[in-house]
Amino acid sequence: MAFPALVFAAIPTGLVAFIQVNNLDPNQLGQIQQYISNFPGIDPKLAAQAFIVTNFMAYFLLIPAMVPMAIATQSVVGEKVARSLEPQLATPLEVPELLAGKTMAAALPAVSATWGVFILYGLVNGAIADTRLTRFVFNDVWLVAMTTLVPLICLFSVLLGIVVSSRVSDARTAQQIGGFVVIPIIGVAVAQFFGGHATFSMQQVILGDLLVAVLIGVALMIGSWAFDRESILTRLA
Amino acid sequence: MIVVEGLRKEFRRVLAVHDMTFTVGEGEIFGLLGPNGAGKTTTVRMLAGLITPTSGGATVNGHELGEGSQRIRAITGILTESPGLHEKLTARQNLAYYGRLYGLRGAELRRAVDRYLGIVEMSEHADRRVATFSKGMRQKVAIARALLHDPEVIYLDEPTSGLDPSAAKTVRDFVAGLRSLGRSIVVCTHNLDEAERLCDRIGIMRGTLLRVDSPAGLRRLGRAATVRVELNGARGPDSFLERLADLPFVTGAQALDGALLVEMADPGHETPDLVAMLVGAGARITAVREESATLEEVYLRLVGEVGERDLNTIPDARVRP
Repeated sequence: MAFPALVFAAIPTGLVAFIQVNNLDPNQLGQIQQYISNFPGIDPKLAAQAFIVTNFMAYFLLIPAMVPMAIATQSVVGEKVARSLEPQLATPLEVPELLAGKTMAAALPAVSATWGVFILYGLVNGAIADTRLTRFVFNDVWLVAMTTLVPLICLFSVLLGIVVSSRVSDARTAQQIGGFVVIPIIGVAVAQFFGGHATFSMQQVILGDLLVAVLIGVALMIGSWAFDRESILTRLA
Repeated sequence: MIVVEGLRKEFRRVLAVHDMTFTVGEGEIFGLLGPNGAGKTTTVRMLAGLITPTSGGATVNGHELGEGSQRIRAITGILTESPGLHEKLTARQNLAYYGRLYGLRGAELRRAVDRYLGIVEMSEHADRRVATFSKGMRQKVAIARALLHDPEVIYLDEPTSGLDPSAAKTVRDFVAGLRSLGRSIVVCTHNLDEAERLCDRIGIMRGTLLRVDSPAGLRRLGRAATVRVELNGARGPDSFLERLADLPFVTGAQALDGALLVEMADPGHETPDLVAMLVGAGARITAVREESATLEEVYLRLVGEVGERDLNTIPDARVRP
C-alpha cells in the first residue's frame, strides 16, 4: 500500500542526499538554479534542495488517486468475478451501506499511507540536509492539502472506481478507465514545474478542494444510479 | 411461508421466468428442478430480494417483495450457485464477517460460527485460509454461511455439489432436520435422486413451472400405474390374463418373468379387488407391489415436451434457451 508513495518520496530524497553528500554547487545543477529564487534568504545549496523537496510534493496527490482506485475496482469487479459479491448483496445491507463500506475500505489505507509517507518525507529530508527542509515540507499550504485535498481526491478516485467497476466485467478494464483520473494531477504537477513554481499556493489548494468536491457530487449521483443490486448481479462476468 | 403469484422477469428482450405461481409451507422442502437456464436462479434471486420482478409478486413470511425486501433478506439464508467465499480469510473469519452483516455480535456470533462449523464438520479446518480448501470444503463453509443467522426461509442452490457421499448425506440429513423447525426451504438441483429423497414437493420448471407435485405424484405421471403381482405355483401368469380382461378397472395386463403386470387407474383403491379376484381364481400370490416411472423419466418427458412445443408459443419475448 505505502510502496508507491515511498517510491515517489525516494526520488527527491535521493536527489537531496546526493547534493548533500557531494556538496554540489547549485550552478552545477542546470535548470534547478533558475528556481532557487523561490527561496530567498537561504544559501543556494539549501534553496536547491528545498525546491526539489517541495516541487515533488505534488506527486503525493497521485497516491490517493491511484492506490484506492486499484482497491476499489478489485473490491467490486474482482468480487464479481470471484462470485463473492452475491452473498454480500443477499444480506440485509442496503446498497449505500455496502458502497460506503467499500469506499472506506479502499480510501482509509490509501490516506493513511499518504500521510505516513508525507511525515516520513519531511523528517527524513530534514535529517539528511537541514531541519529547515522539514519546515518547508510541513508548511501551512501542504498541511491543508494533506488534510483536505488528499482525502477528497481519494474519495473521488474510489467512487469513480466503484462506478466504473459496476458497469464492466473485469478489473483491468475498470482500472484502465478509472486511470484517467491521474492525468489532471500529473498535468498540474508538470505545469507547476515548468511554470517555475516550487509548490501550490493556498488559493490553488482551496480551488482544488472545491473542484474535487463538485466531482465527488457528480460521481455520487452517477454511483447511485449505476451501483444497484440488480445491475451488479446480472452483469456478472 | 412463501407465496408466489404470477412472478415474471424479463432482462431487456429476454424472458427469463413467467407465470410462476406456487407456495412453500412452513416446514416444507420444495425442490426446483430444471435444465440450465430454466430460471431457477432468477426465481430464487427474486424471492431472496436480490432482483426485482418485472411483474407479479410474492410474500415471504408476510413480507412483500419490494418494500419488504430488506426484511426478507434478513430472514433469508441463501446458498448461491458458487460458494463465493473470501479466499484470503479463514473459514472462521468468513463466517464471522457474514454473521456481522446479518447482525450477530459478540458471544452470539462466536457460538453460531462454532456451531455451524461443527455441523458441516469443518471445526478442525476453521482457522485455515479458504484458498487452501477443496471444492467440497468450500461448499460446506458456504452452507454454514447460509444458515449462520438461523434464517426462517432458506434457498439452497445445488447444496451437495462437490461433496463426497458421506458429507452429502450429512448435509441432506441436516436440511431434512430443518423441516421440523418449521423452516421453509427451496432446493434448486439437477440431482433427481437428491430431490426425491429430500423434497416434500417438486416443481419442474423451464421458464415457468411445468408441474408441481410430490415425488410419488410426479412418478405416477410417467406412465400408467402398474401393479406387479408375483406368483408361485403350478399355474403360470398367462392363465389369468383372460380373467383380468374382465375387470373394469384394468386397462392392460401382461405376463412377464413369472409375474403379472397389471395397469390400472388407481392402484391405491383397486389393488385389493385385483388380489381378491386372483386368489379366487386360484393364484398363489407371493408379493404385490406398485411400479411407477422414475423421476428422471418424468423430468425428461416434461422438459423435453416444453422444449419442443410450449416455449415457441410465448408471445412478445424470446425465452432464454
